[in-house]
Amino acid sequence: MSGSGARPGQGGAARGALIALLAAVVLLALVPYLFGTYWQQLGFRALQLATLAIAWNLLAGYTGQVSLGTGAFVGLGAYAFALLGNHSAAPLPVLLLAGGAVPAVFAVLVSPGLFRLRGLYFTIGSLALAEALRILMVNLSVFGGASGIVLRAATPPFYALYWLALPVMVLALALVLVLLHSPVSLSLRAVRDDEDVARQMGVRSFRVKLGAFALTAFITGVAGALQSLKLGAIEPYGAFGMSWTIDTVAIVIIGGIATRGGPLLGTLLYVALGESLRGLPELHNAIAALVLLIVIRVAPQGLWGLLLRRPWRRATAAEASDA
Amino acid sequence: MHLPDTVTLLQAAISGLLIGGLFALAALGLSLVVGVVRIVNLMHGELVLLGAYAAWGLVQATGLNPLLLAPLAALAVALLGWPIERYVLQPVARHGEEAPLLTTFALSVIVQNLLVFALGADTRAMDSGPLARRLSLGSVSVPWVYLAGFAIALLVCLAVHWLIARSAFGRRIRAAAENPLDAAVVGVPVRRLYATTFMLAAGVAGLGGALLGMVFAFTPASGVEYLLTGFTVVVLGGLGSVIGTLVGGLALGLVESFAAAFLGDGYRLFAGLVAFLVFLALRPQGLFGRRT
Repeated sequence: MSGSGARPGQGGAARGALIALLAAVVLLALVPYLFGTYWQQLGFRALQLATLAIAWNLLAGYTGQVSLGTGAFVGLGAYAFALLGNHSAAPLPVLLLAGGAVPAVFAVLVSPGLFRLRGLYFTIGSLALAEALRILMVNLSVFGGASGIVLRAATPPFYALYWLALPVMVLALALVLVLLHSPVSLSLRAVRDDEDVARQMGVRSFRVKLGAFALTAFITGVAGALQSLKLGAIEPYGAFGMSWTIDTVAIVIIGGIATRGGPLLGTLLYVALGESLRGLPELHNAIAALVLLIVIRVAPQGLWGLLLRRPWRRATAAEASDA
Repeated sequence: MHLPDTVTLLQAAISGLLIGGLFALAALGLSLVVGVVRIVNLMHGELVLLGAYAAWGLVQATGLNPLLLAPLAALAVALLGWPIERYVLQPVARHGEEAPLLTTFALSVIVQNLLVFALGADTRAMDSGPLARRLSLGSVSVPWVYLAGFAIALLVCLAVHWLIARSAFGRRIRAAAENPLDAAVVGVPVRRLYATTFMLAAGVAGLGGALLGMVFAFTPASGVEYLLTGFTVVVLGGLGSVIGTLVGGLALGLVESFAAAFLGDGYRLFAGLVAFLVFLALRPQGLFGRRT
């Protein structure tokens, strides 16, 4: 566990990592000047997926709540953005925040029921909840039913979308990293590793889970709002679709669950894989799932976990299991 | 929302119960796998779906009635189940409980996309021929295929119940479900038993899928629907109890049927999911089951 940060001799490494991160952000911000729309579009997708992966990793990796409800939060964020944008004159940042706030409120509302489910039952419950929400949105004519909603605002050009997605991802990453370097991190992991013991030790497990769940819903919802803005029209099958969940889970597991770099590394690999399979759109998900299957079997800590285990790092077993 | 008349309600109750038998059959394998092999099998829906597609494929090839081909479809899915458990799921079991869960998730995605790739995303349905005719009982009537499906589902559920409660194989299954380590100590071949149980579960799921495919149309994306239906039945009926699963299936059939009658057909599955979530939150051990 390199997360406590205050350990002697680690300050230099942490500062180095921070500088490298900042440099990477500056370089990423320059992408629209240097590359054409293909790369801007690809960059937008990568940033959006990375945002989803960062959020899911917080909930599943560090809090131990393996949710299969990513699609529900993406969909709620996308619909909140579209509805508020069509019925008010709110500026874009407010709309994006609303896209996060609605799923976060939804997460808080369902948590008393959902958190009664422990472990794998939580996973099934989250899947059922997402599916129920999707069916509801298909049937509710108030929200456009199966045909969805068309946004009144014009769709921005790709470079503008990219420049929106970049700060969203960076803020999400910063928020999660700060959280993981704070004392809250210990509560999260305590709940993940043994909820009963954590409670006996005075960790308020319900609040801890609720906080992580709501924050994950918020970040996921903002990424969903970006999708709304990009497409200019949304419908329930796509916005609430399972493929959001598949993408997110595959990215985090392939990159390395409960690792800091896993979501980012996973996104790079996943997007690269997706691009190399452009000629086979039907098989894209099947091959991604096959890669997921193999990674779970041979590298349960993901590829970031494998990198940390290289001899030149000489990480201890504890570090490698929770880096 | 409109208030249906008495005949409609009676009709909904009867067809709901009959369909519920099929739900129970399709969910039985999930109950076995979760209860005995201790894997939360997210590809269960695809096993059911593969049963439906296998029957559909056999109908295309032979032109026979799907009811006659359902056992063959079940056999095909059963034969697929064994290597999946033995060579894909068992090796990841040592990585903790989430690794098998996510592995079954990946498998479900693979099956779903391969079905789209091989057969297209079109909705498929099977013509049950003479069984599509309806049996009239006064003012209500049910298609013969509902009755035939229900009878088969009931027989197979009772057979599996007998197998688990009375046979030597069932005694080993119960021992392994109670405590795999102790079972292994007294000579139960637990790993082989897991693969066999998964195979049995897959076969029953495939049979359920073939029969459901005669009643409802299906697409490569129907797996998640079957999966959640399965979990609803298991949670309503309690884990590891065959009779509980049967009762859970009937209860879900009624809930969905009444929801369709009161709210419209689009809310059929939604009502089932709401029942599932409410029940899961209030009573995770099910109607009959013990807390695990």
